[in-house]
Amino acid sequence: MENLKDNLDNGLKDSLPIATKELTLNMGPQHPATHGVLRLVLELDGETIVKCTPYIGYLHRGIEKLSEHRNYFQIIPLTDRLDYIASMSNNIGYCVAVEKLFGIEVTERSQFIRTIAAEMSRILSHLLWLGTHALDIGAMTVFLYCFREREKLLDLFERLCGARLTVSYTRVGGVKNDVTAEWLEDLYAFTGEFPMRVEQYETLIDQNRIWLRRTKGIGVISAEDAINWGLSGPTLRGSGVPYDVRKFMPYAAYDKVKWEVPTGKNGDVYDRYRVRMEEFRQSNLIIRQCIEKIPSGPIMADAPKFILPPKDKVLNDMEHLIHHFVLITKGPQTAPEGEIYVATEAPKGELGFYIVSDGTGKPYRMRIRTPSFVHISALPKFSEGSLVADIVASIGSIDIVLGECDR
Amino acid sequence: MNIGITAIKVVIVISVTMLHVAYVVYFERKVIGHMQARLGPMRVGPHGLLQPIADGIKLFFKEDIIPSGADKPIFYIAPVIGVIAVLASLAVIPLWEGFSIADLNIGVLYILALSSVGAYSVILAGWASNSKYSFLGGLRSSAQVISYEIALGLSLVGIMMLSGSANLSDIVRAQSDYPFVLIQPLAFFVFLVSMIAETNRAPFDLPEAESELVAGYFTEYSGMRFGLFFMAEYAAMFIMSAVATVCFLGGWNGPDFWVFSYVPKIAWFLIKVYALIFFYFWIRATLPRYRYDQLMGLGWKLFIPLALVNIGVTGLVKESSNPIVIKL
Amino acid sequence: MTAKEFIKKVLFIEILKGLALTLKHLFSPAVTRQYPAERREPFPGSRGLHALVIDEYTGKAKCVGCGLCAAMCPSQCIYIYTSEDEDHKKIVNRYEIEVLRCVYCALCVEACPFGAVALTEHYEYSDYSRDVFYYTKERLLENWNKYMAGQKGKEYFEKFWRPKSEDFRNSKEPHAS
Repeated sequence: MENLKDNLDNGLKDSLPIATKELTLNMGPQHPATHGVLRLVLELDGETIVKCTPYIGYLHRGIEKLSEHRNYFQIIPLTDRLDYIASMSNNIGYCVAVEKLFGIEVTERSQFIRTIAAEMSRILSHLLWLGTHALDIGAMTVFLYCFREREKLLDLFERLCGARLTVSYTRVGGVKNDVTAEWLEDLYAFTGEFPMRVEQYETLIDQNRIWLRRTKGIGVISAEDAINWGLSGPTLRGSGVPYDVRKFMPYAAYDKVKWEVPTGKNGDVYDRYRVRMEEFRQSNLIIRQCIEKIPSGPIMADAPKFILPPKDKVLNDMEHLIHHFVLITKGPQTAPEGEIYVATEAPKGELGFYIVSDGTGKPYRMRIRTPSFVHISALPKFSEGSLVADIVASIGSIDIVLGECDR
Repeated sequence: MNIGITAIKVVIVISVTMLHVAYVVYFERKVIGHMQARLGPMRVGPHGLLQPIADGIKLFFKEDIIPSGADKPIFYIAPVIGVIAVLASLAVIPLWEGFSIADLNIGVLYILALSSVGAYSVILAGWASNSKYSFLGGLRSSAQVISYEIALGLSLVGIMMLSGSANLSDIVRAQSDYPFVLIQPLAFFVFLVSMIAETNRAPFDLPEAESELVAGYFTEYSGMRFGLFFMAEYAAMFIMSAVATVCFLGGWNGPDFWVFSYVPKIAWFLIKVYALIFFYFWIRATLPRYRYDQLMGLGWKLFIPLALVNIGVTGLVKESSNPIVIKL
Repeated sequence: MTAKEFIKKVLFIEILKGLALTLKHLFSPAVTRQYPAERREPFPGSRGLHALVIDEYTGKAKCVGCGLCAAMCPSQCIYIYTSEDEDHKKIVNRYEIEVLRCVYCALCVEACPFGAVALTEHYEYSDYSRDVFYYTKERLLENWNKYMAGQKGKEYFEKFWRPKSEDFRNSKEPHAS
């Protein structure tokens, strides 16, 4: 049978006088499914992708270079603009790195606040991912349901720190301002109803036959390949590797709460989807535990060399005023020399800050290891040999944000 | 005879359909909006009631941009073919007893034929735009429409066997006791799915899958030409719903007791048509989109066999209930 | 596939559940906010348009032109021009913010040792030309009167001017620098 088919194919090829060649399709940078400004050049044989080449850089703002000209405080707003869906996670990632460099120990209350904020931003990021991923596959109602909950969380962010998207909430050595009991109560109420909302999303897509056929067995990557390509976060866990920075190298208060790392099995789009849906529940659980356990106390670490002095002291005290001036105009002058790499678990994967310090108030060099950049590099691996419709599902499942990729 | 009367009928039907198309868009936006926990159009007029008119005016006065590489004559004519094919189908739809512009004895075939002509507009638009996205959309559409046409046609064969006619008015009359959906549920299901696929609506809206092909075959169209495609799509939905109403739901027949007997016949017809159109929107708000090859597999491997089985069973049942002695 | 799964598949159970959910939403109230007609009050501390604080006792700007905000600003959009008057006192001739470049991080508020610059909760100031977004000292002072005058302005610094002594671990002891 196979032979017959081969013969037929060969015969057809010989008898066809028309030369065939692949259709080159330029997908993006303005395309509804490339999540921003990703550009893919696809070579198509019919609708099958023969070759997929991602082009990046359309959103390059030089954040790494800019960081070399900003002191350690001024970089915080820049990190907001890496993964702008989850700016809180970037803030935390940066501050954790700088604190490690400076040797600052953050107070316990601050740790818990950071954990809460980070998990909120994980839910926010996953909500946007779920909405757009479902929209890409055609289920547009999920998108609007997701945004309904996103709106509530963003309102909580605004009450927390005054901004909804670019939060700039953490500070080196703590957080910008304390949370109020009222705010915690409202967040607790939200976490009470959120699992029900997740179930609603699942009602629409989880068992839906069309969804299953569009996601199962699509964009498969084995555990070994996933590690070799440097994938991280839910994209890696979808392949069954239970690697999570929050468990392996706990920062903030992740070691003080109970939670699990959800993993997939097959490494396809559906498993990555399931992992993220489980993370909704786990994040929700972490937030609830944190609210229950949050200790009272100060929010700023006691490290006067690196932290702006208290405002009431600045107003009344000459030494503090001078110190305040020096810190702001020159940055923390006593930063230790050396280099450091600290990774945190951002919603998209492992977000690492590599900082080289030469002892001045500014980093000599800051390199950011962003998950989206790594994930995009693996996109051809996901998509070659599949159909055009599948690449849309694959892009959705690796959850990329181009602000983070291009930096 | 009555060229005058026919002309008046034509004018009435077309103008009513055009208005209907405008407001069915509004209806869709409202229904889907509320299903998605939002409001839909609210700004133009009370509750956005004038929105369709505003949209129409906007589309009419927008610049008609033609890509420089386009095959111009075909590019111009493609949307027109679509609209004409759909509007011509209106001729045989019996709105109520005795009211159809042309009472053709091959009404069912006529409608199927015209919906195939409608596929030309999509293919030609995709080809003439000279854009890769349009091209892929056009190709997908042609394959899809041709495949589902078969399932659509086959699902109606059972109806024709039962009523013994391909005339739509006769089919309705044959359902004066009960609608055919009760004895042809399988055919109704096949027809329902095929009609969604035939009109390129979600979850079978692959030719215009916005997440893959931007806007599919009408990516390069703008202004009123884009509007014509829109019009053709919504009018086609109306036609398909009308055919489903006529063939399966008993057309203008309604329950004939109590207050229901005072309801005008046209109202029953429209209620059924709008229920089906609502179903279209409801499905769109709920389901994800199929992939192209899955859709084709579904059509050929499931719906066509199902329709064939239905024909076989219908034939057997009909024969056994009034047996014919086969003479050797 | 078990019999149960098969029946579920034939009867479209999961799709019917989805349809029921969307139908339920059709009859439940929408969450849309009709923006220009229905405005949402920003939460206290929301970071919006800038203002220069007016001292309630002197009626003049609190700003002394030290330039810390300009030094702290990550997007460097604050311009301060000072000079010396006849009594050798420093006067702030110009204090200008290029609002289009601002990223609303509020680091200027944090940097200011006098509580002289603030971010109001006002966020609707779109316009047709770029010139409008170059805020001069007069307009910034005006913003304070418009959006922060009275109790709101007083509370602003109590709540959002951080860090405070109580935020630190050793708040009792003097802060050694």
